Amino acid sequence: MSRAHVLDLVGTLARLGLAAVWLVSGTLKAIDLDQTVVAVRAYDVLPRAAVDVVAAVLPFLEIALGLLLLLGIGTRLVAVASGVLLLIFIAGVTQAWARGLAIDCGCFGGGGAVAPGATAYVQEIVRDVGFLALAAWLVVRPHTLLSMDARLTAGRT
Amino acid sequence: MGGASRGERKRRQEAAAQRLAAAGIQVPEKRSNPALMIVIAVVVVAVLVGGVVLYMRNSSSGAAVAPTYTATASGAVVTAGTGKAVIDVYEDFLCPNCEIFEKAYGNEIVSALNEGKLTVRYHSIAILDSRSTPPGYSTRAANAALCAVPAGIYPTYHQKLFANQPSEGSAGLTDAQLVQLGTELGAKGDFAACVTGAKNAAAVTAETNKAIADPALQTNGQFGTPTVVANGAMVDLNNTGWLKAIIG
Repeated sequence: MSRAHVLDLVGTLARLGLAAVWLVSGTLKAIDLDQTVVAVRAYDVLPRAAVDVVAAVLPFLEIALGLLLLLGIGTRLVAVASGVLLLIFIAGVTQAWARGLAIDCGCFGGGGAVAPGATAYVQEIVRDVGFLALAAWLVVRPHTLLSMDARLTAGRT
Repeated sequence: MGGASRGERKRRQEAAAQRLAAAGIQVPEKRSNPALMIVIAVVVVAVLVGGVVLYMRNSSSGAAVAPTYTATASGAVVTAGTGKAVIDVYEDFLCPNCEIFEKAYGNEIVSALNEGKLTVRYHSIAILDSRSTPPGYSTRAANAALCAVPAGIYPTYHQKLFANQPSEGSAGLTDAQLVQLGTELGAKGDFAACVTGAKNAAAVTAETNKAIADPALQTNGQFGTPTVVANGAMVDLNNTGWLKAIIG
C-alpha cells in the first residue's frame, strides 16, 4: 500500500466520521426543536427572535453538511464550512464557561441550563476540537476514496 | 497597437494548443465546478427547510391577543375564564419550555378564554428557584402573578411575565421590576406590598410540593413544566391540535 493510499484511507475515515457527527447531531436537534430552542437560548448570546431562527436552521444545516460529506461532494469546501461551524460552537461553549453560566452544550440534542456542578465544558470543547481536526485534515487533503468528487472531476473534459 | 498585440497573442495560443494536441495532451476546458453548485444547492435547500419550519412554528405566535377574561385565585391556583372545557396548566415563570409553550399556544388559549369556551386552572409552580442567581426568581414571579389577581391584571401580567422571561442563571426581574410591570398595567390595591412582601410564597411552595408528589403529573417518574392536564390525563403537547381536541 503506497503512502498516498494510506492518506486516502485516513481522509476517507475522517470524511465519513465527520459526516456521521453532523448527521447524528443534526437529526437529534431536528426531532426536538423545542429543546433546540432551549439549548440555543441557554447560551444567552442572541436576542430571542434570532434564537428561533438559529434553532430552526441549524439542525438542517448540520444534516446538509453531513449528507455532502457522506457523498463526498465538494469535500474541501464542506470541510471549511464544518470547521467554521465548529469554531462557532467552541466559541459559544467557551463564552458560557467564561461567564459562569451552567449549561449543557446541546451538541447532540438536549441542552439548556443544568445544575452548576453538572457542566462538562472541558469534555465538550475537547470533543469539538477532535471534530475540528477531522475537518482540518479534509481541508488540507480533501482527496478521499468513494467520493463523488472523484467522479465529478473524472467526468470533466 | 493594442489590436495588433491581441492578435499576436491569440496566434501564439493557437500554436501552443496545436503543439499540445500534436503531443497527445488534452487541456481540460475551464468549466464551473459542479461540486460547488451541488454544495450551494444543498445548503440553500437546508436553509429553506429551516425557514419553513420557523414559519410553521411561529404562525400561531403573532402579536399577543388581548385578554378579556376574568380570573380568581385560591391558594396558588388561578382559575381563568368560565368555559365548559377545563384544563389544568402547571407553569414555572423561569422555565424556558413554558415560554415556548406560551409562545406556541398562549394566543389560542387566551382566545378560547375570551370566547368563554375554556376554563384554565393555572397552577403557580416554582421548581426552578435554584436556576436564578440569586436563587428564588421562580417563587418571586409566581408570587407576583398571584398578587396580580386581586390587582385585576392577572391575564395581561401572566403574558408579560413570559414575554419578559429572564434567562436561566440570571438574576431575573427584581421585585421593583415585577412591581413596575404591574403598575404599568394599572394594578389596583396594594400590589407593590404584595409583591415585595412575598405574600403568596408559602402557597406557591405548597402547590409546588403537591404537584411534585402527584404521580398523575409525572413523566418517567419526574414532574416537569409545562404540564397540562385535561379530563384527568396529561396532555401530549407534541400534538399541536391538543386544545382544539379538548374544546371540541
